[in-house]
Amino acid sequence: MTETNVLAVGLEPEPQDESVGAPRSLSSEAFRELRHNWLFWASLILIVIFLLMAAVPQLFTQTDPSKAVLKLSNTPPSSSQWFGRDTQGYDIFARTIYGARASILVGLLASVVTSIIGVIVGTLAAFYGGLADTLMMRLTDIFFAIPFLLGGILFMSTFPNTVNSNYFAIVGKVVLALSLLGWPSIARLMRGSVLQVQANDYITAARALGAGPWRVIRSHILPNAMAPVIVVSTINLGAYISAEASLSFLGIGLVAPAISWGVAISDSLNWIRVAPWSLLFPSLFLSLAVLAFIMLGDAVRDAFDPKTR
Amino acid sequence: MTTQETTVSTHRSEYQPIDGRLLDVQDLYVEFHTRDGVARAINGVSFTLNQGESLAIIGESGSGKSVTAQAIMGILDMPPAKIPGGHIYYCGQDLLSMPEDKRRKTRGPEVSMIFQDALSSLNPVFPVGWQIAEMFRKHRDMNKSDALAQAIRLMERVQIPAARERVKAYPHQFSGGMRQRIMIAMAISLDPAVLIADEPTTALDVTVQAQIMSLLQELQQERQMGLILITHDLGVVADVADRIAVMYAGRLVETADVFDAYAAPAHPYTKGLIDSLPRLDQKGQTLRTISGLPPNLMHIPPGCAFNPRCYRAAEVCRRDVPQLREVGIGRHAACHFAEEVLHG
Repeated sequence: MTETNVLAVGLEPEPQDESVGAPRSLSSEAFRELRHNWLFWASLILIVIFLLMAAVPQLFTQTDPSKAVLKLSNTPPSSSQWFGRDTQGYDIFARTIYGARASILVGLLASVVTSIIGVIVGTLAAFYGGLADTLMMRLTDIFFAIPFLLGGILFMSTFPNTVNSNYFAIVGKVVLALSLLGWPSIARLMRGSVLQVQANDYITAARALGAGPWRVIRSHILPNAMAPVIVVSTINLGAYISAEASLSFLGIGLVAPAISWGVAISDSLNWIRVAPWSLLFPSLFLSLAVLAFIMLGDAVRDAFDPKTR
Repeated sequence: MTTQETTVSTHRSEYQPIDGRLLDVQDLYVEFHTRDGVARAINGVSFTLNQGESLAIIGESGSGKSVTAQAIMGILDMPPAKIPGGHIYYCGQDLLSMPEDKRRKTRGPEVSMIFQDALSSLNPVFPVGWQIAEMFRKHRDMNKSDALAQAIRLMERVQIPAARERVKAYPHQFSGGMRQRIMIAMAISLDPAVLIADEPTTALDVTVQAQIMSLLQELQQERQMGLILITHDLGVVADVADRIAVMYAGRLVETADVFDAYAAPAHPYTKGLIDSLPRLDQKGQTLRTISGLPPNLMHIPPGCAFNPRCYRAAEVCRRDVPQLREVGIGRHAACHFAEEVLHG
């Protein structure tokens, strides 16, 4: 240990808080920030409730959502049927609870699929640059140019769902339509983020210490470039839920027997003066779900953005 | 400390230095092709580096010293960079004509590098210990706990206090000097034969600079590495380097033993650099400077690139490019009047 003594005299004084404090990563810093944000907690609680509804609707209601009691058609809300019944005599509370599954499923899957496609395309375009970048980004532009809802309508009316399709085929088709139109925004975002991260010295340093392209991408670029995509995907999740509702409302998204808020809203329109509650409750839940995801995305973005500190 | 030395230095690879010579750079050219034209960053640079030798490459911004280092490491962005000519032999094998995959495997275990700004050279999302351990895991196929144990040993070796506790800390929790120590630990983790330090102390304050330099010197002597120290700070060089190479506008203008160069420079540019150092015995006087600016690399003046700024410039300097030639024992200079500069 002789050589250590040479420098021990002049070692830099380490500030107390540095050596004492527990290791803190950027994400744990972000969580410390989030803990004090009531918006985060409010949206998180709402999302947990919606996720529970989607996964185990039986927790919330014992009523069978597909049991139509025509005798009770358009019954207003009461203590026995909280949200009332619609024209077909379905229990609106049960149908609203069960409707969460389709919306959450479509939103989650569409978000995940767009993120995967977008991250892959954006990362490769930025990393390889040149011709690959140009080709991929022009392809992105082409898809980006298609109006979201119009494209969805076009897709769904070309490959319509029918009453006989099974549940997953119905949901899958809507997810496919939304993903096909949604990935370009993520790809662009990811490309920008990777370009920014790539300029950092630690990427050069990793290369200088022998990291191959795959390892540079996996351990150095992705972990540093993902934050904006996570935020935007969370916000998009809300947007996909409302897009699903719009398509279902137009009668080309989810169709019966799938239960969905969009379908319920659409069905209620003809009876709006007789049974306004059949419009109110599905709309309320839809708005709350969309709001929850957008609020969560906002809160997370603020926490990850060093400029707001 | 003994256990660590044995574990680190047991390996030696297919690369064996020839007559103690590690690196042999021959007539290297690098240009950058940009929208505005071609910037000739390096114009025929040749030098060698032996085992256990430390060579300082000195020059102002834009003289090509960092580009030289990047060319040796193979981390130039191509395009815009292009290497139209030259060879870089590492232990007799030309790095420039090597397949990329083989070359990549030399980075880390054979040739390694540390950078100017250690904060931005460390990945902010991973603990430092993880980053050092990754070197062992990926290059030596070590398991996680062994690699982490090695990382702690290395952190102790580069004198990071409480290494065991701090191995899980993140880069932003360290001070500048400590970060540079961690970068050094990563760079020497695979026991490279050549270490390139690109302005390793520029981002640090003066007291820390001295510590980092003596740590580098100590490690270099302990492991008999070839060290290339790139700097614009002549003060830093004197203690550490054996030889210096002065660059100007992409050429070597002088190479010499460090003491010879300080005592009697053989090139007007080197002389200007040394004269412009603040000196204790000349208190109260105006600092001497070299007038003018370094040339635009897209329009390097004909003849000697230094001629517009040179106090000695004559007609021949504006016409002929001076070649690097021997002007004394073990020293070379690229000046038409090298002898006159050297001897008076």
